[in-house]
Amino acid sequence: MRESGYNIFGGAAKKKVSETMINEVLSPEGYWKMVFRQLRKNKIATYSLRFILFLAILSTFADLLANEKPLVCEYNKHLYFPVCKSYFVSAGITEWPAELQNVEWKELNYQWAIFPPVPYLPQNIDEANVHSVGPFDKQPVKSLRWRHWLGTDELGHDIFAAMIYGTRIAMLVGVFSMGIATLIGLILGLLAGYFGDNRLKVSRIRVIFNLLFLAPAVFYAVGIRSYELTEAFTHSFISFLGQCFISLLIFSGVMSIGNILAMPLRRIQFLGKKINIPADIIVSRCIEIIMSIPTLFLIMSVIAIAKPSLMMVMLVIGATAWTGIARFVRAELLRIRELEYIEAAQALGYSQLRTIFRHALPNALSPVLIAVAFGVAGAILTEATLSFLGIGVPADTITWGALLSEARSKPAAWWLAVFPGIAIFITVTVYNLLGEGLSEAMDPRLRK
Amino acid sequence: MLQYITKRVLIFIPTLLVISFIMFMLGVYAPGDPVETILARQQGESGLSVRNIADEAAYMSVRHKLGLDLPLFYFSITNSTSSDTLYRIPKADVRESMAHIAFINGSWPNVARYYSALKQFESELNYLRTDSLCQEDIIAAKKNVNELYVNYDQSKIASIFSNLTSILNGKCKVLQPLSSKFVALKNTELFIVDHQSSYAKFIPAIHWYGFRNQYHHWLVNFLRGNFGFSYQDMRPVSSIIWDAMKWTLGISFASVMLAYFIAIPLGVKAATTKGSKKERATTTGLFMLYSLPNFWIATILIIFFCGGDWFSWFPAPGAAPIPADAPFQYHITQGIYRLILPLICWTYTSLAFISRQMRGGMLNTLGQDYIRTARAKGLPEERVVWKHALRNSLLPVITLFANVFPLLLSGSVVIEEIFSIPGMGQVSYNALIANDYPVVFANTMFAALLTLGGTLIADILYAVADPRISYSKTIA
Repeated sequence: MRESGYNIFGGAAKKKVSETMINEVLSPEGYWKMVFRQLRKNKIATYSLRFILFLAILSTFADLLANEKPLVCEYNKHLYFPVCKSYFVSAGITEWPAELQNVEWKELNYQWAIFPPVPYLPQNIDEANVHSVGPFDKQPVKSLRWRHWLGTDELGHDIFAAMIYGTRIAMLVGVFSMGIATLIGLILGLLAGYFGDNRLKVSRIRVIFNLLFLAPAVFYAVGIRSYELTEAFTHSFISFLGQCFISLLIFSGVMSIGNILAMPLRRIQFLGKKINIPADIIVSRCIEIIMSIPTLFLIMSVIAIAKPSLMMVMLVIGATAWTGIARFVRAELLRIRELEYIEAAQALGYSQLRTIFRHALPNALSPVLIAVAFGVAGAILTEATLSFLGIGVPADTITWGALLSEARSKPAAWWLAVFPGIAIFITVTVYNLLGEGLSEAMDPRLRK
Repeated sequence: MLQYITKRVLIFIPTLLVISFIMFMLGVYAPGDPVETILARQQGESGLSVRNIADEAAYMSVRHKLGLDLPLFYFSITNSTSSDTLYRIPKADVRESMAHIAFINGSWPNVARYYSALKQFESELNYLRTDSLCQEDIIAAKKNVNELYVNYDQSKIASIFSNLTSILNGKCKVLQPLSSKFVALKNTELFIVDHQSSYAKFIPAIHWYGFRNQYHHWLVNFLRGNFGFSYQDMRPVSSIIWDAMKWTLGISFASVMLAYFIAIPLGVKAATTKGSKKERATTTGLFMLYSLPNFWIATILIIFFCGGDWFSWFPAPGAAPIPADAPFQYHITQGIYRLILPLICWTYTSLAFISRQMRGGMLNTLGQDYIRTARAKGLPEERVVWKHALRNSLLPVITLFANVFPLLLSGSVVIEEIFSIPGMGQVSYNALIANDYPVVFANTMFAALLTLGGTLIADILYAVADPRISYSKTIA
């Protein structure tokens, strides 16, 4: 593969023109526009997309939909927006006035107040309605406005509020863990697919130096920083990420020293000889390793050694869910790299990076979208399973799975099993339907 | 064929090595000290202080028996502050804090001197006759010493020292003879700080240990079928897994058979009647079934069908075991009766998955030219579908076995837990709850082995079903 090219047309302007031409010839209408048009023809997929949007809104505005604080109220002749104000208070911008500090919001004597549709918080207890009051049971509440429409659990938590906040967790898990999975899957799939087994050629000296410098890089990035890393990990996740970033910087610093040192030595004929790196075989082995450990067992093993936290669960799900995406990208790029326009891009002397990221990768992205849609469904299901079993997710996090697990100890409270179950089922189905719709919209054989 | 299988198995070896390494490392970083867990169990959970001389000897012997006093891996890259004698310190938290002091101050021998001074001071403290008057002071001093063992922070250590000084100089005369040891202890600590070398931690030190290391022993033991002992009841892990695997494999096998048995005709039927109302309903239903969380269905089934307020058609999970002296026939009927619900939950996901693939494959095949030929030469439709088309669309479905099998194993965790079936999933889950790491990691390792075995079986089945495929030349 050509590393530094020559330009047969000469001049940068021509280069620009030809590149846009390549793009235009490839997509007369705009590929994504076309996919979206196809998707909109599919009624089920359109409704699924709308429902996902609805869930996203629900999880974004959960605080406004289910809260003990009123949305707007007048108290002691002052007008307050307590729910909105609580955001600013938790951000440290303002403070509660003295009369509203540590108050029971429901017990206050307002002049008037507008409460959210569900006037309960999922973590707070309604002491009048403990021991799992059903949706149709007689509930000792002030009025219909305060009724628990989906019942309460053993401790007196409102199920409706818990369902709304559970949506937030489910969406967060889906998006975050698939974000990680997509990142890993794209990079590895790209390496395997574009370079295959015989296109990634590196000079001997660089291979030797990279291997040699790997040990000190790991040593300086992780080895001597292990105390900082573990301390940050026990402190907070954000600081852990910060420390990880510093480690990453050190690692890449040491590795680039090795690569820079290798540069002059490349001139020596023996050391400069290019050797093949079988990227495809290496990535395929990695995929096989992850695939061959049943997911739940792998996740259980990793979670066994970490403290329960939602972040950890999302990271682990993301770190195990990338195989599907990597396989899709790999297969797609194996096909694309043989196409003429890639050859043309290489002939025009574009750099390797430019060919990959501007020409090869954008056309391999469409199947990724399908895999992501299915992956989100899988991630939500996995998280629900884990919190149902009570592993990984901290006990005070309100999730659909955790609600469902309460139903096991109290079989008579059917509402604890039915509502969260339906929520999980619908969410997972909707994402699966979207994936199905996308794959149909992208299938050229089904194009109308 | 045999050659192909051998090649395939050879490819599995590096994969297995990597998996084993991952599992081993997870085991190393698992929280808690296995030696202490075992000692606590032996001593009946009594409050133990490992630093007593006798207890220390017991600690070291258990540690040696478990092989935990060996280096971790074939080689190690550490900083030059870490030492080769560190492992002699019992108790993981003390070991860690001493290593941390050495890391901060850059010299292990000084820290070792500090540690031995600390130990001497403690033993003097332990030999003191507990006077009724000074009881409180002695307990306070002991508490402070215990604090010293697990603290590495300079300011924290200084404050503990000042606490101790005030206790020793207090009104209690009994404690006075200790002050010489205490001064010695303080001096060793001062020596560490004075002879600090902050650059030592930046110098890497590479050690080569050879085969006498924990990983090697663990791997060799694993290959010999010795997976260590469960911390819970000291049973060998191999026997635990063996008992559990019988259940999981048995039910998985039944479930796979059931799934294929129903899914293939269902998929074929759906493909041949494509577009009809009934077909669309089935396809949608199967799609829904695929996204139904099995733990939800299991919970719902138990709530509504196993006693409780609704129907009691099936025994509740965890019902009394079948008496061993019951007649054989009773065993069989009761067994099946109890397994119906778990089997349903276990099967339906893979059933939906397989039949959807079957439908897709069949649709593809029915559009082929040779099907038109078969129809044109006047073969009855039945024969075209069930003989000509089915055989050719069966191939991709057979390879699905490799995908379905890990799915079933993963599902076993939830379903076995809900229906209390003592299979691999439940054993693994219970071990996880009880921090019984050897069982967790060995179980995962076995699940991986089984999955690889499943892939192999799928490949072989593929070869058997399709005579065109020859494995002698290529490796999949």
